[in-house]
Amino acid sequence: MAREPALNRRTSISYKTEERTVLRGYNLSDLAEEGYSFCDALFVLFQGRIPTQNEEKMLDYEMGVFLEHSMSPSAVGAIGVITGRPNLPCAVAAAIMTFGGVHGPGAAHGYMLNKYIERARVEGKSIDEMAKILVDEYMDAGRPVMGMGQPQHVDSDPRAEPIHLKQEELGLQGVYLEFQRALEKHFHARRKAAGRSYVGVNVVGSGNTALMEIGFSPNAGWCIGSVTRGFSCAAHALFNMKKGRAWGASRNEPMVQMIDLSMIQYVGPEDRIVPKQEERQEYARKQKETGEYKQWVI
Amino acid sequence: MGDLNAEKRARGIGNLGDPKNPYDYFEREYGTVPPDGKRAPFRWVSEVAYKNVHRIVARGYDTTELMEEGYGVVDTLFVDYQARIPLVEETQMLNYLMILALEDGLSMPAAISRLVARSKTFLTQACGASILAFGHAYGAYSAFGNRLETYLKKAGDEGLGPEAAAELLVRENLNDEALGVSNLMLNDPAARRVFARADKLGVAGEHIAFMRHVVAAAQRQSPEPVDLDMLGAIGAAMLDLGFSPEATWAIMAVTRAYAAGAHYIEEVEREGTTRLGEELTSPDRYDGPPERPVPPLKDRPQPSEAAVCQTSEQWKKRFEEMKGLQGSGFSLIEEIEDPSKKSGIKKVGKL
Repeated sequence: MAREPALNRRTSISYKTEERTVLRGYNLSDLAEEGYSFCDALFVLFQGRIPTQNEEKMLDYEMGVFLEHSMSPSAVGAIGVITGRPNLPCAVAAAIMTFGGVHGPGAAHGYMLNKYIERARVEGKSIDEMAKILVDEYMDAGRPVMGMGQPQHVDSDPRAEPIHLKQEELGLQGVYLEFQRALEKHFHARRKAAGRSYVGVNVVGSGNTALMEIGFSPNAGWCIGSVTRGFSCAAHALFNMKKGRAWGASRNEPMVQMIDLSMIQYVGPEDRIVPKQEERQEYARKQKETGEYKQWVI
Repeated sequence: MGDLNAEKRARGIGNLGDPKNPYDYFEREYGTVPPDGKRAPFRWVSEVAYKNVHRIVARGYDTTELMEEGYGVVDTLFVDYQARIPLVEETQMLNYLMILALEDGLSMPAAISRLVARSKTFLTQACGASILAFGHAYGAYSAFGNRLETYLKKAGDEGLGPEAAAELLVRENLNDEALGVSNLMLNDPAARRVFARADKLGVAGEHIAFMRHVVAAAQRQSPEPVDLDMLGAIGAAMLDLGFSPEATWAIMAVTRAYAAGAHYIEEVEREGTTRLGEELTSPDRYDGPPERPVPPLKDRPQPSEAAVCQTSEQWKKRFEEMKGLQGSGFSLIEEIEDPSKKSGIKKVGKL
């Protein structure tokens, strides 16, 4: 059996021989045998170190609270994909890939915090001052402040504040939590002054703050959160695969299905005649000239 | 459920009763939310296509009728993305571009397809994975096109003119992967032929014209020989055909997925599968921390050794140190934003 790797790369993450798999210098089997947790191993993977007990507890809490979120883009993505009955991993992969600039933008939040903490350092401003600058800059520009607001939990995300509290309980308050708390304070104050409704911190705002505080980079934090959600999305896909109706359009189900024909609402160009080939050039030229089509271009 | 909340309040649950919470946790209701009767129930809203029991209609055209009238799949791309029937020459040009985009040897889409194939997956997994290789470096049609449009707009809005706008574009982006000008096609005339073909078919427009200025500017500014590459050629031609940068990105990535399917098939036909644990990675290729004993659990780091930083100076010091750990992510800074042009369809859903 040829056992060469498909990719030939230098790596400082791991190696594997016939005798052992070594992650950042630690034999994986030894890590497990010594009683370390999966969360401990994630610290080794992304930070090359074994965490303190409370850091491990914080990560465990954050991952647990983030794992399941019922119907979010990620679960819906998984369910949509599995209706075609591909291999299950396709649905799970699609779910994880729904995380982007809007759904669970963990890295974006992290980059934002890093950028402004660095500015505070360079410009000699306090964390509180810089958090206000961030809020003002974002809101003046009409940009959503990353980590604030959740379209479903409009009355405050049930996971968010408890994550902050857990971080405090575990004695893991540092520069990130200080910044995030200050950001929330100035955000709330500005909305209140403008007579706008209360918008709470969301799980990215608090969860990612905790992840960064315990030493993860923005991308590492994003990876941990998004991939963790993959577990629950797989369960949603599996439920639909085992107990739901494939294709999602059957008329034999008592409930109207996800893509029943009646679920389609078309708002595009009206039904029209297809030009014959001999009419085509004239027809196409006229269409381009009038430019009416441009309103539909995507 | 009120009783349940009362019982939970009496028992207490971790920090959930903490007054710092901006709500009384033990007053929060249980159960799902009833349907919202004030708004229309959800439907799949589309400007692109609809179907009913008897027909499928894209942008107003019945797709079966399109084929019966002698149109083809490439014409249908104009219908779907631009809601119009293309000129014959436009269809010919898009055919030309799609042929060029179909195959690229054992580059990343094919390589990913083959890697996935080795796990005895469905072919579709390999094809889908190949599309994921299209980003803002390889096949960067979105990045390329949006930039070209931005500077072309500057040429007009700021009165720069195309030549000066092209100079500016190159000056600000000379080494970017999505410039569309590089040293990749110096010995292959395929990219330049794209523009020649567009000229011949009469479909070359302002984007190709502007791209010619970009190429000239890059050749003036670059210390090494450069020329139009495939990204720049296909990207500019697609814009002149009326496709948006994002539509181009999608069409070209999907086009390549056909070839990825062939690579999947060949991999399965000619090579074997790979099992979990089969591949070894030699310590010779490893340059991380040397092998070290796992400390007993009781000796794990103390609280004072946590990564938590109290000041921005401490934060900066740790941040810089962590950059030395490859794979930690501390050396990466990306722009991750909402790519929506507009959020929400307000014209539907009112009762």
